Amino acid sequence: MPATTENNQGSFLGRISIRRNQVMSMDGSHDQELEDLELFQKHVGDRFSELLSSTTDDPSNDALLSIGWLRRLLDELLCCEAEFKAVVMMGRDPSQIAKPPLDRLLPELLDRVVKSLDICNAVTLGIDAVRNLQRLAEIAVAALEPRPMGDGQVRRAKKALNSLVAAMMHEDRDCGSSKGTERSRSFGRRGNANKDRGGGTFRSLSWTMARNWSAAKQIHAMSSNLAAPRGAEATGLPSPIYIMSTVLVFVMWTLAAAIPCQERNGLGTHLPFPRQLSWAQPMISLQEKMAEEWKKKEKKGSVGLLEEMQKIEKVGQLLIDFAESFQFPGESERLEEIRGHVEELADVCRKMDEGLEPLQLQIREVFHRLVRTRSEFLHVLDQAVKLSAPTV
Amino acid sequence: MEKNLDEQSIPHEDEGNNTNIDDTSKSSLSETKDNVEDVKPDDETKKVDDVDHVEGEPKEEKKEEEEEEESREGIIVEVTQPETPPPNLEKVLEDIDRFLATTNENNNNNANVNPNEEKIPECVDKFLDLLEEKIAKYDSGETKWGEVVEEDSSLLEGVNRVTKMMKLLSTMIIEFQSGEKETEAEGEAQAEEDAAEKENEKEKDEKKDHSTLVNRISAIQQRAMSYLEEEFRMLMEESRNQNKTENNDSSKGKQVATTEASENESTETVMDFPGFKEEVVTNLNKIACEMLLAGYDSECYHIYTVSRKHGFSDGLYKLGYERISMDEVQKMQWESLEREIPSWINTFKECATVWFPGERKLAASIFSDHPSDADTLYTELTRVVVFQLLNFAESVAMTKRAAEKLFKYLDMYEAIRDTITNLEKLYPENIVDDIKAEMTSAKNRLGEVAVLIFCELENSIKSDCGKTPVAGGAVHPLTRYIVNYLRLACEYKDTLEEVFREHSKIERSDSTSRPHYETDNQHSKEKESTSPFAAQLTRVMELLDANLEGKAKLYKEVPLSCIFMMNNGRYIVQKIKGSAEIYEVMGETWCRKRSTELRTYHKNYQVETWSKILTCLSPKGLSDNGKVPKPVLKERFKNFNTLFDEIHKTQSTWVVSDEQLQSELRVSISALVIPAYRSFLGRFSQYLDPGRQTEKYIKFQAEDIENYIDDLFAGNPHQAMVRKKV
Repeated sequence: MPATTENNQGSFLGRISIRRNQVMSMDGSHDQELEDLELFQKHVGDRFSELLSSTTDDPSNDALLSIGWLRRLLDELLCCEAEFKAVVMMGRDPSQIAKPPLDRLLPELLDRVVKSLDICNAVTLGIDAVRNLQRLAEIAVAALEPRPMGDGQVRRAKKALNSLVAAMMHEDRDCGSSKGTERSRSFGRRGNANKDRGGGTFRSLSWTMARNWSAAKQIHAMSSNLAAPRGAEATGLPSPIYIMSTVLVFVMWTLAAAIPCQERNGLGTHLPFPRQLSWAQPMISLQEKMAEEWKKKEKKGSVGLLEEMQKIEKVGQLLIDFAESFQFPGESERLEEIRGHVEELADVCRKMDEGLEPLQLQIREVFHRLVRTRSEFLHVLDQAVKLSAPTV
Repeated sequence: MEKNLDEQSIPHEDEGNNTNIDDTSKSSLSETKDNVEDVKPDDETKKVDDVDHVEGEPKEEKKEEEEEEESREGIIVEVTQPETPPPNLEKVLEDIDRFLATTNENNNNNANVNPNEEKIPECVDKFLDLLEEKIAKYDSGETKWGEVVEEDSSLLEGVNRVTKMMKLLSTMIIEFQSGEKETEAEGEAQAEEDAAEKENEKEKDEKKDHSTLVNRISAIQQRAMSYLEEEFRMLMEESRNQNKTENNDSSKGKQVATTEASENESTETVMDFPGFKEEVVTNLNKIACEMLLAGYDSECYHIYTVSRKHGFSDGLYKLGYERISMDEVQKMQWESLEREIPSWINTFKECATVWFPGERKLAASIFSDHPSDADTLYTELTRVVVFQLLNFAESVAMTKRAAEKLFKYLDMYEAIRDTITNLEKLYPENIVDDIKAEMTSAKNRLGEVAVLIFCELENSIKSDCGKTPVAGGAVHPLTRYIVNYLRLACEYKDTLEEVFREHSKIERSDSTSRPHYETDNQHSKEKESTSPFAAQLTRVMELLDANLEGKAKLYKEVPLSCIFMMNNGRYIVQKIKGSAEIYEVMGETWCRKRSTELRTYHKNYQVETWSKILTCLSPKGLSDNGKVPKPVLKERFKNFNTLFDEIHKTQSTWVVSDEQLQSELRVSISALVIPAYRSFLGRFSQYLDPGRQTEKYIKFQAEDIENYIDDLFAGNPHQAMVRKKV
């Protein structure tokens, strides 16, 4: 995955910069630039429409909001980002991007980048919590997979699943919003908590971000000053900056919706994407789909839209119902049916086991890339300032 | 195979055994009470016999079993009576062990033994009863963990046997299942035989008993595990909370005082960071061993992870480290952000030197049987902490650059750098590279910014071009600032050298951005011997000199600009000589050169100020054929007085704050002026009429001159020469 990203980036960057170096000095560089911008728009549109189509057509593809899909989403983000840099920064005279309105738009983008970094961190912590939930699901699988199924196994599974469901509710409702570090220390001392209900585990499984930090607020702040460039600006450099901002907001919103993350109240509001622009269409469709899911889930209180977690929640509930009614040795048809669910759960767990860590690392990669890009842009802006005000 | 079990066993269970588990187990218990001793030898010999004809001849076995069953029932009646001593778990354990040992042995030696014919001795039920009772006591709180060590260990022993039995029986059932499949196939072949079918029935009953027993055991195991799980959690949490209160008591303490009065023996070893007592760790280890053995590892790991995560969060909070989002860091005032940095450094170092090793040790001691799992748990836990800590460093490095931030950045840089060298000790091999990459990234970022900040000193010098000269030719604030800054920077000399070296490497690979210092240095690359940092330092010095020369020109009086240059030059040299680090970088030659320059300014000053006045004292033109022309002499005295008065008036407002320089100047002036004046006086005063004339023209005695010279460069406001008469 990183390899392909690099390749894409390499070839694209190479092409752009070589061409620009050749062309810059001659006439017609403006046409060249227009072409670059159009290409960038088109690529962004293509990337996201691919992400959109893969969720609907082929069931063998990664489902919307699954780990695999999120990883592809991040890949696309990295590609867009690399192209963006190529279009806006590479081989360009620093003074060009320090001119209005870029002197305002670029710092705004960089501010969005900083906010994205926080989202990346929150999601990294969220994945950690998801892994804890995965462990609980694995207990249920471990208990219910071997035969014969006895009371002990069923109780074990029930206990784990109850903890899981409780933790999922918890993760969602006040994930990380616990006030400061004073968390509830009340621990279900044996005897007062129902042993099979997993009493005493009703605690946040995730690390907390800074106090009062809110994913929803950050995303809101990222998108509130996002306005499509109009008039002459629409064909100039403001356009890619706007596109990159939109992509960034979209990806961060998706991550925050998929993975438990501190304070997500109000995440369901629609992002202000421009309906009239073709490149934004796939993003709009995706966001509509996800926002719908979000609204459904928000009322129930769920851990997030991550497809694997949704499955775990669903199957987990079925298995709890089964466990409640189980009487040794159980009916064979029912057991057969349950076996199917357990296999499904095992499958999900396996996917999480394989996918979560790479996803976490990929988010980290995005993090580092964004940090890098930000400092590169700042450097260019610095140079522009120096050039415009030569020292005495 | 498993499918088979479901289809076969469940309907049968439903037919006869709809009663609950306890009933069934009890009934089987009453059937086979307490005659292990008697049955066992029987059992064993039979097994040995059977081994030979297991394969392919299941029917014969069935017959034997039938017999056995009967004989057993006979025995029961006899043996139940003499059993008087109360059942004792320890005693039963021995029996269980024997049972497990022999069965295992058989299983190992003869993989093909049909498990069907293995008999479950009576001691099993008795054991289960006793253990269940024991667990119930623990569960209800009647017995408490940690009160009687023997009780606890016998519980664990019991649990251990349950696990082993569980494993054994499940394999037996599975093997039995496959055995049954075979028999069934054969049975079909000879479907006519009624006898065979009957035996099959019997066999199924047996199996039913088996699975009922397995069910009971699994339930007991689950109950026991549930208890142990909770106990494990309690132990984890108590240690954590205890650690917390203790640390709160002794506001500054790594020494954890044993607060419990019961423990007078304060020699109790307490692990440095996680604060778990050895005894607790032993207990946790014992519980973990049993849970892991029973396959309840996920439960155990889950509790461990969650508890330690919270332990770590609390710990970080206690260290005074508060999480700040990267967004917020960008918005913070440097004054408040600056205050967070020492606490971050402290936390980071504490983690790297005490907490992480302690955490790793804790995991390793609790999960001593599973070192790789222990490492994974440790890694998963601490990696997130590392990320969070590094994020702060990254976000600080992202803030707007400013000269005053350099030293804090370097402090952070050093903390990370020093940890990287130790990383192999902190992390298992497979993860070390990842963590190292993360740390290196944060370190590089800080390093890059440090270089940029240092290079930006150039700008702050260049942009300092005020048109107002400093009064009295004193040391310019810019000089003070730059020199002190450089001095401070040189306290980080080694780090800065490193940062400059590493950073130039990074920059070269990235063609889009290149700080100007490098391009500037490009042509002076022949000076390979000088480090990039030293080169940059020298460059800053040169710029400062150039800037000062410009500032010197702002003074209207040449001697004053000399004084200004001397003042500033002296200040620079003194400061640099006063710090071994910066002296080392600038070098002896540089200092000597500077001293020479200073002497030149000194000389210039003397010439500019005093040469004119000395001409007044020259005997030239005063001896006109041995006669002294009085008017000329008078004029000379008058001129001298006026000039000296003027010099005194202006130059005593000038400032030379360096005492040595001040006295050097005064001494050199005195040496120049006083002998000349004295001899002039000695030679020519006689020509003036004593009395009024002398008083009018000879205003100063030599001593007066000396005193007035001592007023120079004192930075006094203008004042008349009234004081100081000897």
